Amino acid sequence: MNEMKTGPSAILLAIGAYFGFVVAVAQFHGVTALSLGLKSGTIALLAAGCGVAGAIWFLFANDQIDSWRPAQVLIGLGLLCVGVGSYYGLFVAPPEQYMGEVQRIMYVHVPTAWNALLAMTLAFVCAVIFLFRGDFKWDSRMEGSIATGVVLAFLLCCQGAIWAKPTWGVWWDWDPRLTTTAVLLFAFLGILALRRFVEDPARRAIWSAVATIIAYVDVPIVYFSVKWWNSLHQQQSTPGTVSKQFWLPLRLNAFGILFLMVAFIMLRSRIASMRLKQELAPPLPAAGELGEAV
Amino acid sequence: MSGGVVTGGWNFVIAAYVVTFAVLFIYGVTIITRLRAERSRAANEANEQ
Repeated sequence: MNEMKTGPSAILLAIGAYFGFVVAVAQFHGVTALSLGLKSGTIALLAAGCGVAGAIWFLFANDQIDSWRPAQVLIGLGLLCVGVGSYYGLFVAPPEQYMGEVQRIMYVHVPTAWNALLAMTLAFVCAVIFLFRGDFKWDSRMEGSIATGVVLAFLLCCQGAIWAKPTWGVWWDWDPRLTTTAVLLFAFLGILALRRFVEDPARRAIWSAVATIIAYVDVPIVYFSVKWWNSLHQQQSTPGTVSKQFWLPLRLNAFGILFLMVAFIMLRSRIASMRLKQELAPPLPAAGELGEAV
Repeated sequence: MSGGVVTGGWNFVIAAYVVTFAVLFIYGVTIITRLRAERSRAANEANEQ
């Protein structure tokens, strides 16, 4: 692993972990000195911003290195965070006042939603950079981000259906948030299908980059759908509207799924990159041709 | 549901967590398996050359 390249990401992740976990635990126990006088919204923003920036820095610094180590580190960290976060969410955090035990689904559902939208955003960024630079490593990163984003969006719909049944009485409803999320899932699934059908690597990369930019229009619609239309789905919560007892499991799972997502994108984009190399490699000369050449 | 409050529901909670871990595990294993297959294919091609 290249220490110089992973150094800044380690610093960013440490800052994210400090504001995400250490300050959250301290505030829960009534210790406010560690929060450096910052408001809870600013602390959450710093935790999320530094965590995401550190993880993405780590991804782009290591995804072209032919080693399992960076992905192993991320998977290990991810499993640790998700394991501890889920333990807190299931057994330590109290049940919510109205939704009771069912609210514990929030600790996996909300982090999955955040990371699914983040994966789609990464795909969008990779698509734009590919169209400007024409470097195929961005095409591979885009494929990895889309594939991982689709898995997370599928998981999001499954978790949402399981939560909807005991609270709304139905598994599915054509509500604006649910419908736009389903559109997002199928739009990006369509892009993966498009990549399967187009054989020419250059055409495939350009078409799928353009399709990704078009499909990404749905991401802000998903986010704002609960504000723009009447929706069964609740509006976004803020640190001010969520009890301090819920912060730690939510943030641990958010970081855990973030690390797993980045590791999956790293490995999946490496598969895409290796396939691309095979496609672009010149065909081996036949036995006769080889003799003539010598 | 009792008086606007959801009661019980542990089975839904367990289902959500099981689905989450199962999907993440299966996706992770699939990617690692596919990457190993790609690597061995690339190594075989390099040996043939």
